[in-house]
Amino acid sequence: MAVARLAPRPGFLSRATSAAWDISSRRPAVPCLSIRVTRSPFSTSSPLSCASHKSTTAQPPSNANANSNTAAKTDSASSSTDRYASCMKLNQEWAAQTARDHPDLFPTLATGQKPQILWIGCSDSRCPETTLLGMQPGDVFVHRNIANVLHPGDLSSSAVIEYAVAHLGVNHVILCGHTACGGVAAALGNKQLGILDPWLLPLRQVRERNLALLESLSPQEAALKLVELNVREGLNVIKQKGAVLDAIEKRGLQVHGMIYDVGSGALRELNTEDSEEAIKARLSAFKTEA
Amino acid sequence: MKRYLQQSLEHIFKNNKQWALSKKGADPAFFEKLAAGQSPNYLYIGCSDSRVPANEIMGLEAGEVFVHRNIANLVPNVDLNVMSVINYAVRHLQVKHIIVCGHYNCGGVKAALTPADLGLLNPWLRNIRDVYRLHEKELDGITDESSRYNRLIELNVMESCRNIIKTAAVQQSYQDHQYPIVHGWVFDLGDGLLKDLNIDFEGMLEDVKKIYCLSSSPNRE
Repeated sequence: MAVARLAPRPGFLSRATSAAWDISSRRPAVPCLSIRVTRSPFSTSSPLSCASHKSTTAQPPSNANANSNTAAKTDSASSSTDRYASCMKLNQEWAAQTARDHPDLFPTLATGQKPQILWIGCSDSRCPETTLLGMQPGDVFVHRNIANVLHPGDLSSSAVIEYAVAHLGVNHVILCGHTACGGVAAALGNKQLGILDPWLLPLRQVRERNLALLESLSPQEAALKLVELNVREGLNVIKQKGAVLDAIEKRGLQVHGMIYDVGSGALRELNTEDSEEAIKARLSAFKTEA
Repeated sequence: MKRYLQQSLEHIFKNNKQWALSKKGADPAFFEKLAAGQSPNYLYIGCSDSRVPANEIMGLEAGEVFVHRNIANLVPNVDLNVMSVINYAVRHLQVKHIIVCGHYNCGGVKAALTPADLGLLNPWLRNIRDVYRLHEKELDGITDESSRYNRLIELNVMESCRNIIKTAAVQQSYQDHQYPIVHGWVFDLGDGLLKDLNIDFEGMLEDVKKIYCLSSSPNRE
């Protein structure tokens, strides 16, 4: 899948010399106006056009989906070595700075973790949970996957929830979706995606159940609506788990649905209050005893 | 209790607002650029442990690293969750590096060494016991318990790297573009530093391909 291309990233080594490295220091992208590209099924700029395979001229350079089979060839193993080395350097700078700012932090971390929050979010690079929550290492236990989808039988997320709720005793579970989600855009399209298809299947189930509503909306509104519906669906999966129901009952565990706006950095909580009837039905069906 | 929980939640939104404001202050176009799309160079696969936040330990900003975190940074061959992440990151985002990052004092690895029935965590943690079995001789030869535990954490990272290299997405992309390169790291909670295990990516790839070669398959999943 050929998409619009960015210039190779500036040398990481020069970046590493600046402790307060800023995203704005990126070198402007080189325009490659002659490249013909196919729209990515994950493109979020016009979500419902995902199914179309028509070629389109490359977009003006931006941070968007920087992929190319041509230009990227220059970005191979040798230049990667430099980036890799600077990664280590950035870590050393962070460790030194953190030790200066919070002298007790690392000695405390070495003794154990007692996070209050379990965050389940998208793998998307624009949604770094601890950063956007303004928190410190030790504060947030994390699971991130493609499109923050929760399959009831998925062992990976089930193990994370079980460990966080039953063993670590977190007080809050946050399931967070985000605007401009590539997985959601893909589920609103109809392109085959191999191994990603079974993963995105719950999103398509939600799409099927809400087809009329989604089709009545503009592409942007439909994408945002599906983000929200996906979070609500995931909340149901979380609240169907024995460990979670137990913790809600015994120690007031709270389960929250949120949407993060990658375009503003703001987090907003959805109203996810259940009716008494729904709670009763849920407890009848899912509450189990030892 | 309820009031206390509410307060801690308000704290979250306050912190988030502060962070967004400070980013915007430093670069008014910060979020505008992010809204346009993502083009991370890295895929990071690490532990869910709260003490190991990916962006912080790597000194990277929002938009720079695609992240998957699960219990004990495992890459089980049949786990659709992690396999979807790898596929998306390699095929669609074309990341240049994949990093598996373990950490010393990993509760998951410790639990896997404990002779206890942990219910639904058992099948997940069994993968770590399998890593022990694969390196039984070496591990049994380490007499100091904490050194043995630390070594298992390193070997577990290397096993995850190997499982990543078994995927068609990685093999084909590396053949076509010479990326991504797979790295294994361990984070030390005691000093905040990353240790590079310096895995021999090329060597591991060659090794793996003897049995798991999928690079010439016309089926691009």
